[in-house]
This record gives sequence, C-alpha cells and structure tokens, in this order.
Amino acid sequence: MAEEFSTDGMLDMYLFENGQLLEQLQDMVLEQKDADSFDEDSINEIFRTMHTIKGSSGIMMFDEITAVAHKLEDVFYFLRESHPENVPHLELVDHVLEVADFISNEMEKIRNGDPADGQAGELVATLDEFLEKIKGGGEGGKNKKKKSAEVPANKHEEPKQFYIAPMATSASHFYKIYVSFFQETEMANVHAYKIVYALKEVAEDILYSPEDIISDPDCAETIIKDGFKILLQAQTSEEEIRKIVGVGYDIEKVDIYECKAEEFLQGFDFNDHDMAHAAPMIDLESSVEEIDSRTQASEADGAKEEKKPEKPAKPAIAPGDFVIKSKEPGKQKKLAKDKPKAEKASFISVNVSKMDQLMELIGELVISESVVLQNSDLKVPGLNLDNFNKAAAQLAKISTDLQNVIMSMRMVPLTNTFQKMNRIVFDVSRKLGKDIEFVMVGDQTEVDKNIIEHISDPLMHIVRNSVDHGIESKEERRDSGKTEKGKITLSAKTEAGKVWISVEDDGGGLDRDKIMAKARKQGILDETRPDSSYTDKEVFQFITLPGFSTNEVVTEYSGRGVGMDVVVQNIQAIGGSLEIESKKGFGTIMSLKIPLTLAIIDGIVMETGHSSFVMETGAIKEFVRVKEDMMIHEPNGDEYIMIRGECFPVLRLGRWYGLTEYKESVEEGVMLILEVEDKKVCLLVDKLIGEQEIVVKPIPSYIKKVKGLSGCTQLGDGSIALILDAPGLIE
Amino acid sequence: MENMSELKRQVDEDNAGERDTQKGKYMTFKSGNEYFGLEIQYVNEIIQLQAITAIPETEDYIKGLINLRGKVIPVVDVRLRFKQEPFEYNDRTCIIVINIKSMMVGLIVEKIAEVVEIKEDNILPPPSVGRTDKVQNKYVYGIGKVGDTVKLLLDPDKLLNDQDLTVVEQANEMNVEEE
Repeated sequence: MAEEFSTDGMLDMYLFENGQLLEQLQDMVLEQKDADSFDEDSINEIFRTMHTIKGSSGIMMFDEITAVAHKLEDVFYFLRESHPENVPHLELVDHVLEVADFISNEMEKIRNGDPADGQAGELVATLDEFLEKIKGGGEGGKNKKKKSAEVPANKHEEPKQFYIAPMATSASHFYKIYVSFFQETEMANVHAYKIVYALKEVAEDILYSPEDIISDPDCAETIIKDGFKILLQAQTSEEEIRKIVGVGYDIEKVDIYECKAEEFLQGFDFNDHDMAHAAPMIDLESSVEEIDSRTQASEADGAKEEKKPEKPAKPAIAPGDFVIKSKEPGKQKKLAKDKPKAEKASFISVNVSKMDQLMELIGELVISESVVLQNSDLKVPGLNLDNFNKAAAQLAKISTDLQNVIMSMRMVPLTNTFQKMNRIVFDVSRKLGKDIEFVMVGDQTEVDKNIIEHISDPLMHIVRNSVDHGIESKEERRDSGKTEKGKITLSAKTEAGKVWISVEDDGGGLDRDKIMAKARKQGILDETRPDSSYTDKEVFQFITLPGFSTNEVVTEYSGRGVGMDVVVQNIQAIGGSLEIESKKGFGTIMSLKIPLTLAIIDGIVMETGHSSFVMETGAIKEFVRVKEDMMIHEPNGDEYIMIRGECFPVLRLGRWYGLTEYKESVEEGVMLILEVEDKKVCLLVDKLIGEQEIVVKPIPSYIKKVKGLSGCTQLGDGSIALILDAPGLIE
Repeated sequence: MENMSELKRQVDEDNAGERDTQKGKYMTFKSGNEYFGLEIQYVNEIIQLQAITAIPETEDYIKGLINLRGKVIPVVDVRLRFKQEPFEYNDRTCIIVINIKSMMVGLIVEKIAEVVEIKEDNILPPPSVGRTDKVQNKYVYGIGKVGDTVKLLLDPDKLLNDQDLTVVEQANEMNVEEE
C-alpha cells in the first residue's frame, strides 16, 4: 500500500490533513479534560473528525485506522444522539487519546514508508466495551430506552447518510431565496446551477430544490413553472446576495427572506413536503408567515415519521449539524465536504524544501537586482535615468517585500509544541496519580520552524521531569502545606533577541546536598574546593551531566540518568543554553535560552566605515548627537561622555573593531545609548541607515567567535550585515 | 570569463554524473606562481567575486562573509592563507565554493585554470626530505604531474583548519621548487 502511494500527493495530503485533525482533536480533548463532560460542540467536532479520518483512511485502504476511527465515531454518535448520563469522562478522554495515539502511530509508520501494521483489534474491543458500558448507563435513565434501542441500529448504517456540514457561527444568516425565471428561458436548470455556483462562494451551507439540476434536464421545466428555491446559510447580507443573484435577462424576480436556523434545518423537509403535497407550488407572493407555518407543519410531520420526538425540540443542536436522511441527494453532501476545505484555505501545506528553494531564489533575485541597478553601464555621465530610477525604486520595493514575506513564512507559533506538552503533563500526571494544573503562557510566540523541531524533544524531557520528580505526591504536598494540586507553567517569550522557554513547577525543588553527595560519589567534585564555594548554579548544572540522576527509583518516565545531558546537548546544538533555578521546597525553573539564531528581530541598521551593523532595537535606549566638549578623556585612553548629567563609558565601534575609514570625530557620528540589565554604554557609529526586521543567521562556525557579534543577517540589497550583541559589547 | 563558464559547466556535469567520473579530476587554479589542484568532488561551484562583509578580529586570510543565494558563507583568501603577498582583486578573481563536511567555504583565487585529469600513477607523494621553512606543505598532500607542469594537490580540510604541523607531516616535508 504505502509503496504504491509513496510518491503520490494524495498520501501526503492524507497524512497532513489527518495529522492536523488529530492535533486539533487532542487540543480540544485536553482543553476539556477537567470538565465533567464534553460540551455539545466538542462531541460534534470529535464525531466529525473521526468521520473524516474514517472516510479518508477508507479511501487509502488503511483498514485498521478505519476500524478504530469508526468505533470512536460510534461512541460519539451515541453520545451525541442519546446524551447518556454518568459517562466516566476521564475514561472517555483516555479512550479518545488512545485512539489519537494509535492513528498517529500508524500515520508515522506510513510516513516512513513502513506498512501500517498496527492491530486495532484490542482498541476496538475496549471501545466496544466502553460503548456498552455507557449504553448501560443510558438505559437506566427514563425516556431513553427507546432511543438507545434505536441508535445502535442507526449507527451501523453506511456513513454516507451523515450530512456533516460546517459549523455555523453566530454571524451566519439564513435565507430563503426564491428565484423565478422568465417563461421563455431555455435550459433554466443551467441558469439555476449558475446561481448555485455563484452562491457557493459565500455559502456556509446551501440547499436547493429541485435537487439534480445538472443531471436532470427535465427539471428546467419545473424551475420555470415553480421557481427555483434555495436555502442559504451565509455571513453575507441580503444586499450582497442580491448582487450575486441579480435580476437579469434570464431572471424575472428574486425574493430573499431571512429566516431562523431552525427553519433552515428543516429546509428539505419543507421542500419535500411541498413537492409532495402542495400541488401548485409556492406562490411567490405568499407571505413569509405562511411559508413558515407550512414549515412548522412539515417539521411536525417529519418528526413523527422519524419517531424521535425529542430531537427537533432540542435547542442545543448546533445549526448545520443535523443528520440528513439518506434519501437526500449526493450533491449536497459533496458540497458540504467541499466547505471545510474552503475554510481551511487560509492555510496550505508546503514542502519545506520548496520554501528553502524559494528563499534561495529570492536571495538570488535580490543579488541580480543589485547587479542590474548598480550596473557600471549606468554610470556613464550624461545619461538621463529618471524613468529608470523610478522603475528601479519600484522593483527594489517589491523585492524587499518579497524577502520579508518569505522570511516571515518560516515563522511558526509555538502553540503546537506547547499543546504536545499539555498532553504529556496529562498522561504522566494521571499515571502517577498526581493532580497537576498546566498553564501555558505566550504560546503564540513565533519561532523559526527549524528551532521548533529542535526544541520539541528537549522540552518534552524537561516537562516530563517536572511532572515525575518535580511535583511531589499529593501526600507530600499536603504535609508541606501546599495545595494538593501541583502547578506547571510553560512559558515562552522573546527577550533581548533570544527566545526564552521556561518550565516552572511548584514542586520540591532540587536538593543541593543530594546533588553534591552524588557528585562526590561520581568524582566530579574538585576535592580541593570547599563545598560552599560551589554556587547553586554550578551545582544544578551537575544534573545535566551524562549518567547523573539523583532519582533512586527508575520510573517509566525518568530517572535513568539519560535525559538531561541529552537535553543540554540538543539545546547546545542550536546554540542555546539551559539555566536552572531552584529553591528547595518551592520548585524549579528550567529555562531554555535559545539565541537569536534564525529568529526574526527588529533591528537598527547602521554603518561604520564600510561595514554595516545591526543592533537589536530593544537594546538601544536612545540616539544622541553629541558635542566634542561633552567628552571626558582619561589618560589611559578610556573615554566617557556626560549626557544630561549622567556619565557613560564610550565605545567607538570603528576603533574597537579596527575598521578603516570610520569617522573619528564624535560630532560627525551618532551615539547610541545601550542598556542591558541596568548597565549602560555609549556606542559611537558613523551613521544610521534605518530600522528593519531582520532574520538572524549564525556566523558560519568556521569563523571563530568574535566578541560583541552574535550573528549576521542579509540586508535588502543582498549584502551581509553583522549583528552586534549588546551584552557582549558592554562586557 | 568564457573559460570560466566552460569550466563551470564541466564541473556541473561532473557533479551530475557518478562519483566515479569525478575521480581523478582536479580543479586547478593559480595562486602566486604555483598552480594548485583541488579534487573536484569538493567543488560546489565557481562564482565571481562579490561584495564581502569583513569580520573584525579574525585571521587576516579570512576575508569575511558573502551571501550566496541566502546562504552566508565565509571566504578565505588563498594567497594570504599561503602567506604569499596579497594581491589586488580584479575581474579575473574568482571564488571557488567548496563543500567539506557539509561546511561551505569560498576560496578567493587569482585565476581559475582548468579541470585536469591526473592519474594516480602521476601523483607523487611529497618528498620526505627537504627544507622545513615552507609553509604550504601542510596543505599539500601530493604533487600531480600534468604533462610538463606540476600541480600541488590540496587537502581542503587542512587548508581550512589552521592546525599545527603534526610530526608525520613534518617528516613528509618536501621541496616544491625541486620538482
């Protein structure tokens, strides 16, 4: 199977879409894990997700995935239809997550080209058992017997009976639209289809009658005679719809009535009913009330026929969520399937290598642009280049924009990574019987995709550690006067051009003495140094050494002493560092400090000598023009400057780096006052160029680290500017 | 310049082909009075000289960084690396972009010569006796004979990494001028 499709875009699409669905599913489940039960929307959402996965897996012939998804869909179908009480919520959450894991696993295998050989049997059996269990509970309730007897009968029918429409938002309006065509219109069905097609653009949901306008040319007659009826759910206003469905050479009259969601939901019953019973079709002049009353009647009829008296009365059913009987035509179903895709259109998946390629090409474009614009042929005196310069400026603007766009495309919020951590906290804490509140802060922080890939695993380790031996057991917490519920905070922020991701727990904290003892045992300590001379920071760094674990008991999750050293290695591989702060009895904070690398920062571009430099905007307090008499020269060469009564040390960038042709006089240059952690320094540069969003790139490792430089970046003209590191300069 | 594009094409073709076809082929260039050869498998491409961003506080032979289609790569002036007299860059000056252990580095050379094939029989090991004041010997692992001329074959790894001479290499010292 997998080989057959491995080059097929379909498989990629399948994996990508379902991967996303599963992620959303997990997020949603975890969000509500602490609630007593899933709310209506979630149940519908999970049901829909499973349905989609089942469908696509079926097409791709991954039978085991299909089976599992189908089973979970059944469970949620039951929940949705029967609203059973006493559903063990956590158990349900577990089941959903198990299923999600199983499918993720299988998809991972498929992605790697391995056969998806996972056996779903056991999982299906557990789900069956669970379903039986909640059904048992449901039967206990009064008035539910009938339904629960009926539902299982329903659920084994073919999936195509479900009409799964996109969710309506509160901003949706519902319209009944009647279109009457001129009697002489030829092929009215095609005209009708034109309208439907145009409405699809705005429609969240659309139904129309007659139904098979494309396949059945005979219905043209019906349309002319009776008019063409459309039920539309959309966010647009009536005027906009009128613009789309305007009176024209073919259309005689268009009537649009806004209606309620409930009527909309009954739309087809109403139409069918009319088609069947009301021989002279709707006279378009009849009032809305009349039509409404008819709708009500048909609603009652339909309800009786369906023998589900409670159902139409249930106000909680979300619009668009209803189940259409299988006699409904396939066309609408297809339409509804198209819709979620249209909603997703704000995101498309692109192969990363294509992005890289695009980035390289844009880089090349920028270079060749500067080759053209600064071509020596243009330097011939006496040329009139006014028009050329205008065009060139336009070109330069576009290519700069283009560059900015591609750079920003690589930035991804940390949300997904954080959600994964949420899952880990949930799983591990439940298995360990700990009650833990997980708080996420700043998950919208954008980080380069490459970085995300690298921090995911280390972060997982740290979070797992926090849950496993950071947070104490309930009893211990109670004894030490803490709340039973532990708290883990995962936060991210960009500060001073670095991404800080920290995991904070309010657990027992690290035991300095224990670590010292262990370190002594392992012979890491320098015996000539007194214990007290080790700072806390140094001591805590010991736990990042290979084979160092103070945990006596090896658990399923941690304690084998591999882990922290791997974490540190991975972080260092991308040039980051791990800082550990801890207070015994009060908790631990592990902070990943990931350097500028590849992150986009706001920078001020400046020039000294022939070189361009960039300084992160945040580090610059102000720019000042100074006079020579403000300078204070010390005999040893140190310089200071008095600005508004404050004295700052002065650093001349040109002199410091031994550049050539920089401006010697302070009056010609610009002073930048830099501030880092309350230390201030004045930096003299020749001139400022401007502010720009820059993508930080590491200086190639071949070049040894230069003090005060933290990276480099590509400027709009394709040249490279060095990024000044304010803390490095101040040191 | 024609010569160069010709060479570039050749290099590209070679890269496209099997590794075997690259074997025994050397990209040669001139630096000072000598011709040097680099195994072609290391050569990524040859580009014209472009704007170089100088980096302060580095060795003088590291000229700085260039932007190669969005990739930032360091460039090394080969003449300065060989401790020869600096030369002025002109439009014959080229940058050979080489790739060693997935690190890309540009080599600024005076003039690209040609791609030559040197059979293994024609590669002589550096003589084991000779003067010890030659500096370039540590980068040169062999001497290739092409017709009447000789090319000094470079070990790119050693060229880039400023290691001190090891004992073995000292024993392997040779006298280029004697060739």
